[in-house]
Amino acid sequence: MKDNEIDGVLKAAQAPHGPAPETLKRVTDSIRDSLRPVRPLPPRWVLTGGLILICAAIVLAGAARAGFFGIERMNPWQRVLIFSALGIFVVIAAKEYVNAMIPGSWRRVPAGALLGIGATLLIGAFALSFRDYRTDHFVSAGIVCLLTGLLHAVPAALLSWLLMRRGFAVNAVSAGLAAGTLAGLAGVGVLELHCSNFQAAHVLVWHTAVVPLSAAAGALVAWGLRLLRTSNR
Amino acid sequence: MHPDDNLELLMARYQEGDFAAASALIDRLSPQLYRFFAAQSVSRADADDLLQETWLRIHKVRHTYRPGEPALPWFYAIARHIRVDHYRKSIRASSGERELEAMSKISVVVSEKSDRADDLAALLAPLSPGERDVLEMLKVAGMSLEEVARATCSTVGSVKQKAHRAYKKLRVALSEVRLGNGQGGGLS
Repeated sequence: MKDNEIDGVLKAAQAPHGPAPETLKRVTDSIRDSLRPVRPLPPRWVLTGGLILICAAIVLAGAARAGFFGIERMNPWQRVLIFSALGIFVVIAAKEYVNAMIPGSWRRVPAGALLGIGATLLIGAFALSFRDYRTDHFVSAGIVCLLTGLLHAVPAALLSWLLMRRGFAVNAVSAGLAAGTLAGLAGVGVLELHCSNFQAAHVLVWHTAVVPLSAAAGALVAWGLRLLRTSNR
Repeated sequence: MHPDDNLELLMARYQEGDFAAASALIDRLSPQLYRFFAAQSVSRADADDLLQETWLRIHKVRHTYRPGEPALPWFYAIARHIRVDHYRKSIRASSGERELEAMSKISVVVSEKSDRADDLAALLAPLSPGERDVLEMLKVAGMSLEEVARATCSTVGSVKQKAHRAYKKLRVALSEVRLGNGQGGGLS
């Protein structure tokens, strides 16, 4: 059977009748009663820029409070490599978050692949920058950094949600995942400016772990909210 | 030229509070949105309910449409979201996963039926929900690959892949029906 024959069968099989006239009347009446002019969402680049600014503000405020010990100890090569990779990942995550909050957004590359590329870039930058392979105080120092990163991810997540609250996520879990990733990156940014522990294992495990944990938390919160909303309806 | 060329203009006027534009959109899009729901194995009453719910949601989130961007994928993305919500609720209400599996394994029965909405639903029954969405938007609603990709939050490559898989499954199912009907069996 050829494709055009299948097309013909599909066309012939579709419902010839439309919706009930009373349904359309009900819809029209309810829209008429509440029709007001609305302000469309700002352009995508404004929203993306806003999210990046929020991340930058959290990173700088967090590091200013905790101290810029990490960046002071880095050589220029490490600074360029790490903050470029972090910057690219932040732009990718911010764009994904904006796309997830505007229905009918255009994607050239799957969201998962983009986030994967960002994560690979960041891990690659860490692996190339840090060559101290000792593991002194691996767990105790790591837990402190993980908590510091996650604590800074919380205000980043709240502020970015505030900026995007007028959006509408057709896939809440994807939106939560993107929001969590972005917030986690703010946490990693604080750690890179502040943490002066340059042991490769410490940075690769504990600093990087902030992003997947924060992303998972974002997806979980979004899933829970969706469950609550659908069960209340 | 696309038959819905002015949808973007109507949508912009709807955002400005123009009732005539809102009414024109409802008249123009409701039949195809209804067919979208009817193709997903739901009853006529359910399709009507889903259509109503979709319009109420569209009205609530009309500010999320970005002027100048294609409007049809925006409408379909919201309609698809409503359908997925309905699907989840019905699964939760019924016996859960077993029901879902049973639904996807329904054999194709294309027979002489008075309600032709059932024909399309039965025809698309062997497909996964994602494949059904893609095929319905591409072949019944007449959307382009890019529009379907936008409406399903995926990429053109993924849409092509789903359409290819759907055609493969339909080819097998329809060939079986033809064989069952003695080669010359009418399908519609």
